[in-house]
Amino acid sequence: MRLSTRVAALCVGLLASHHVAATELPQRWVSAGGALSEWVSALGGESKLVGVDTTSQHPEALKALPSIGYQRQLSAEGILSLRPQILVGTEEMGPPPILSQIRNAGVQVELFSAQPDLPALQSNLQHLGKLLGAEDRASKLFESYQQQLDQQKVRVTKAQLSLPSPGVLVLIGHAGGKPLIAGKDTSADWLLQRAGGHNLATHTGYKPFSVESLISLDPQVLVFADRALSGEEARAALFKENPILSSTRAAKDGRVIQLDPTLLVGGLGPRLPDELKKLSDGFFPGTADQ
Amino acid sequence: MTVLVKPRALFIGLSLLCLLAIWLSLALGPVSLPLLDTLRVALRMIGLPIAPDGLEQAELILGQIRLPRTLLGLAVGGVLALSGVAMQGLFRNPLADPGLVGVSSGAALGAAIAIVGGSAFGGLPEAFGPYLLSLCAFLGGLGVTALVYRLGRRNGQTNVATMLLAGIALTALAGSAVGLFTYLADDATLRTLAFWNLGSLNGASYSRLWPLLLISAGVALWLPRRAKALNALLLGESEAGHLGIDVERLKRELVFCTALGVGAAVAAAGMIGFVGLVVPHLVRLLAGPDHRVLLPASVLAGASLLLFADLVARLALAPAELPIGIVTAFIGAPFFLYLLLRGRA
Repeated sequence: MRLSTRVAALCVGLLASHHVAATELPQRWVSAGGALSEWVSALGGESKLVGVDTTSQHPEALKALPSIGYQRQLSAEGILSLRPQILVGTEEMGPPPILSQIRNAGVQVELFSAQPDLPALQSNLQHLGKLLGAEDRASKLFESYQQQLDQQKVRVTKAQLSLPSPGVLVLIGHAGGKPLIAGKDTSADWLLQRAGGHNLATHTGYKPFSVESLISLDPQVLVFADRALSGEEARAALFKENPILSSTRAAKDGRVIQLDPTLLVGGLGPRLPDELKKLSDGFFPGTADQ
Repeated sequence: MTVLVKPRALFIGLSLLCLLAIWLSLALGPVSLPLLDTLRVALRMIGLPIAPDGLEQAELILGQIRLPRTLLGLAVGGVLALSGVAMQGLFRNPLADPGLVGVSSGAALGAAIAIVGGSAFGGLPEAFGPYLLSLCAFLGGLGVTALVYRLGRRNGQTNVATMLLAGIALTALAGSAVGLFTYLADDATLRTLAFWNLGSLNGASYSRLWPLLLISAGVALWLPRRAKALNALLLGESEAGHLGIDVERLKRELVFCTALGVGAAVAAAGMIGFVGLVVPHLVRLLAGPDHRVLLPASVLAGASLLLFADLVARLALAPAELPIGIVTAFIGAPFFLYLLLRGRA
């Protein structure tokens, strides 16, 4: 019957996951985790995706797929109803009992690292490439990614010779209101450092700030990410909701950079190098492009 | 209050409703199973000799996902409603809620300590992380309730009004402690905490189900035995005393049963609001205030309500899932307002 052949195919898929041949590759994918889904798409797996979680917002086409909810709060039956052959996600995916239920239903569950570093990305890409039958493409993607990051490093080092690192605050808000400030141990902080900025916030995690302490830090550059609005609308909302921001040095000098908040979820994504370049161009004006 | 429904008719109706809820809870879900398959698997589970051909998937989904979930819903709904009756009886106030004696806020504090503290120590180990969370929530609920009870006691007497106020104060205190943990939490932990506070029957497993089933069965068997005493208490504490009821013991039992039952329910499924408040009310509207009817009928009604709410939770946004607390509050809050405003018309 249809079902038993599917089960058989799944079993084969499970056994063969280490030495896959093109015919046995999983064809129906569910992916949880923004960066991961982007990589699946970048490796040509977009057409195989049958469902993604709420953090998977890029590329645009993924928004049309059935949503399996938030990656930490998945529902076993919901995912099974999409009849996937494989569920991929970062170690943030859960809760664990749900994952084991999904595994018991014969669905291959593959966990990837959400660490924002290159070794983790390399092994993630290799693993994904194998599962998608696109190993060459995966290693090429990784090489060019590494190259871009290396160039970024060179660019930042060079720029820092001529200009000091600017003091930066990263504001994450929702339609402008009560933004949280990104401190240490956040993906925003990681981005900031790679782009050559100096994070003025010294706390860990994302925390609300009083307006006064925000002003006293006197940031040279403001980076903001808005979860609800984008473009000029987001910028206008930020200054409308927090008028005091207009008096910061950053605002007076017009050094306010917008960041896509989906970049901050789930490890290194494919759009990161471009965004880093955009940030460092903003941090070191005049040194852009050699 | 007039009795709309005879007790016998009420029990028959509620039992049928509960059976319907159980059946729908087993038969419906994001994965659509043929009705015949569901029936065959259900009969197989009862032990009838039915050939398992082609039933692997149905068996897995029913046995591993929907059945534990249904049992969890039954136990949680039943015990929450029962505790609601106990609290409304104890405080002699139909707007009382199991949260009044601090069990919910205590459990929330326990959970926050487990979630945030656990992640500070590098994440809860996968194997017993969920158990630790449940245990902390359970102990937190018991602990705060015990404290509320102690504060309400003076000279061997439990003053219900003092207990109520102590409950409010400790709830606020626990709330601020939870707030502090929320502030300390990182982004991921925050999401876990937020979802826990909305409750869910998602991910029910037998290993975590047994303690709750045992406790709720115990509470469901014990409390109805005290129905007559609760009826007497409706007249007032001294009146009940004159009728030969050991009021102090009754209060102790009510608080203990509530702490145990709600603690276990919250530990297993997170915070689920309004069931304990609304269900006893509904039953009282239908069948009057006699605890001999109210207690067992509330168990059935609470279990049914929670199963129906869970159906909405799992089907409304499938394949994603709504936290069940959103659904119960959505049903419960308007009903509560209706109760409040009814007398004014």
